[in-house]
Amino acid sequence: MSADTLHVRDLTVSYSGVPALSRVCLNVAPGEVLALLGPSGSGKSTLLHTIAGFHSPQAGEVWLNGRRVSSASRSEPPERRDLAMVFQNYALWPHLSALDTVAYPARRRGDGRNVARAQALVILERLNVGHLADRHPAELSGGEQQRVGLARALARRASLYLFDEPTAHLDSHVRGVFLAELVTRQRDTGAAAVYAAHDAEETLGLADRVALLAHGRVIQVGTPQQVYREPVNELAAKLTGPVSVLTSPGGSPRVLVRPEWASLDGDRDGRVVEVWFRGPHSDYVLVTDQGTLLVREPGPPRHERGAQLTWRLSHSWALRESTMTAEPSVSQLPSQTPSSVAVPE
Amino acid sequence: MAGARYLRGATLGVVTVAAVSVVLTPLLVMARTVWIEGGADVADILTARGLSSAVKNTFLLAVAVTVLAVPLGTALALALRRPNLPGRAFWRVVILLPVLVPDFVLGYSWLRAYGRAGFTDDLLGVHWPGVQTPVGVTVVVVVNAVPLVYLITAVGLAARSEPAMERAARVSGGTALSVLRTITLPLLGPATATAAVLVFVLTLGTFAIPQVMGSPAGFSTITTRIYSNLARSSDPLAFTEAVTLALLLVVIAVLVVAPADALLGPRLRVTRVATTDSTSVAGSRAGGRWAATGIACYSVLAMGLPLLALVATAITRAVGLAPTPENWTLDNFLAVLNARNGEALGRSVMLAAVAASVLVVLGGLVAALERSRSGRGLATLVSLTLVLPGSTLALGLLLAYGRWLGGTLAIILLAYIAKLWAFAHRPISGALDRLPPDELHAARISGAAPLTAMRTVVLRPLAPALLAAWLVCFLTALHEVTMSSLLYGPGSETLAVVVLNSAELGQVGVTSALSVVITLVLLIPALGFWIAIRGLNRGKASLSPVPPVPEPAHVG
Repeated sequence: MSADTLHVRDLTVSYSGVPALSRVCLNVAPGEVLALLGPSGSGKSTLLHTIAGFHSPQAGEVWLNGRRVSSASRSEPPERRDLAMVFQNYALWPHLSALDTVAYPARRRGDGRNVARAQALVILERLNVGHLADRHPAELSGGEQQRVGLARALARRASLYLFDEPTAHLDSHVRGVFLAELVTRQRDTGAAAVYAAHDAEETLGLADRVALLAHGRVIQVGTPQQVYREPVNELAAKLTGPVSVLTSPGGSPRVLVRPEWASLDGDRDGRVVEVWFRGPHSDYVLVTDQGTLLVREPGPPRHERGAQLTWRLSHSWALRESTMTAEPSVSQLPSQTPSSVAVPE
Repeated sequence: MAGARYLRGATLGVVTVAAVSVVLTPLLVMARTVWIEGGADVADILTARGLSSAVKNTFLLAVAVTVLAVPLGTALALALRRPNLPGRAFWRVVILLPVLVPDFVLGYSWLRAYGRAGFTDDLLGVHWPGVQTPVGVTVVVVVNAVPLVYLITAVGLAARSEPAMERAARVSGGTALSVLRTITLPLLGPATATAAVLVFVLTLGTFAIPQVMGSPAGFSTITTRIYSNLARSSDPLAFTEAVTLALLLVVIAVLVVAPADALLGPRLRVTRVATTDSTSVAGSRAGGRWAATGIACYSVLAMGLPLLALVATAITRAVGLAPTPENWTLDNFLAVLNARNGEALGRSVMLAAVAASVLVVLGGLVAALERSRSGRGLATLVSLTLVLPGSTLALGLLLAYGRWLGGTLAIILLAYIAKLWAFAHRPISGALDRLPPDELHAARISGAAPLTAMRTVVLRPLAPALLAAWLVCFLTALHEVTMSSLLYGPGSETLAVVVLNSAELGQVGVTSALSVVITLVLLIPALGFWIAIRGLNRGKASLSPVPPVPEPAHVG
């Protein structure tokens, strides 16, 4: 375990008696990006803030680079942990210019003002915001503010980066650009990262591994493909993208179907109740014998609402009804080969 | 829409007439009096020997109190923000206790605790000879001003330096101390400056503490000098001198406030109340214990012991006897419970209730008018009454309306309205600021006329602020003594004036008993309203979990 950059063991945190995290375990290897995916209130921010040292845990431990930094009895202050953070609300200081904000970590390391500013300017220029160095946060757009926030984190030269939903307040067209920039810069440093988000699409693309969080517990950890194709339960499936749940008349296990696992024109009957044109593809909602099904096909819509048509299934994932308790769930073992289950007639 | 415009015009008219008659006219009449009647005497008055020492004392007192109270209040606000401070919720309430204790009671209780033949003298044989000197006066005015600094700083901490700012600094490698220096204190600058200006100006006008503690030892300030001059009402020169001094007080206040206001802008007028509780990064447990110990020591020495001494004196048979059970008696309370004091209490409560009710209406009207250009000047004028010393207002009202209303309850009521208007206006205005404009728009687009929209969607969320404004005005009026002591006549003395007069007559036991009674009279409604406001807020937790911060208003 000491080889890992971050090791979180049985972490339990509660706010005035209300549990926020219960027995959370996670590992992040050097250079790895772990995404934390969960609905708001699932404990993502609490987990990041406990790793950063803003909160002390009631039980459990946090290890950074083989050194224990948090336990119920002892908590290292944030400034003595080898990590940097980018905040959801940017957290820029209104009285400091962009240049002094980015120079701040170097100043705290003990560098002189001029040295720290020179380093800060290099970082700002690398992020294409060198011309904004003299501006204060109020004079910057959201995207520019978050670039300054990222520059400040890079200036810390840490071995672990914490990203607390850094794109949550950005406009959608800035979001993609910023995200690409963030991942590139963080990978350049060779450091590990924990990235919290509630947007599955954004997260699956950038992470090496994904941890799904709900009600303060980790419900699944795996590669993006694993958590997408083999979710442990319905909640996990919904967290990682659009999904339909189909029942079978025989009472055998329900199955999960991703929109692209089904296609139109096949051996089963259905009726179109909704059609949405999404740009690159079109979504159809079908009413079938087994339940409501979402089908995604490339191109513009080919059918109108109310049309009777046929469809088929190329892949599905069997849902374990009594998750985590009775039988050992197949999907909880990420090494298991994906099992395709045919929908019962 | 024509109806709405008519309504707006009528409101503006009413509020303008009120502001002109209770604030502007008295000031102008005073200026005219000094100009015409003072004439050549003004120069003599200002150079009189005793007078220049009073002016110097006032100025030095204000400087000393500002220099001491601002760091102390800021330190308390920072300490009480630590999440690991033992008993944090309790200390937060204790720190605000001086708000509920009238300033003359606080001053008197310090004499009872630390003076000769006081509590510590009786029990331990030690007393502090300095308590009746300028040093003692300064210390007690500081204790009285600390809650104001604490409130403004705590609000500033919650509003400006949100926890994320400090977390970002800590995670950038700053230690707790360097983050305090580089992030927290710079962000707190405007709030600290606001607190300093307010404390300075309110100390200029403070009367009761120097009167109760300092004047027996010959320490006089401008306000106590005005008071003693009016007592010698037969001497016309004394009256002119009092009016000149009252105007001088305003001049000093304006000289300090005007540049500060220009620098700090609207911050001086509007203290925003944040809705989030701001807690700092968890510090060491030992640090929390040290901070709690410090706060406990301060609370016990500054408030606990003096109030205990006050109660002990009230229930002890005679001064000089040890406050032990065999010397306990209720005689002092029985002596206090007579028809005259009962009437005074009734008058006080009635005056305070009427003043508070009128003030909530006037404050609400100004807050509503403030949102348009025509009302903004009016709001500025009303806010400026905050820094107008009570002695000045009282003298101005006496000059302007004394011929008809002198010695009546009506003139005291006018004085309360003039002095406390800003206190009613600010919480209501703050609550209106926090009201999302879309809620009113949504009501209008759902078919509500302006007044209906106000009544149905604005008034209910505003209720806690209105109640808080009423409570602040009621409590402040109840322990107001600066103006009442200058304006009362036979049959119109308030309970606070009775206590002050009793203290001057040297009736130790009776004064203590009266002080206990007036403090209880304040505590009981305060507690009731606090519970009511909490209940109202719980009903709409989404809007604001804290009631608008009541300003401690008793310094002036």
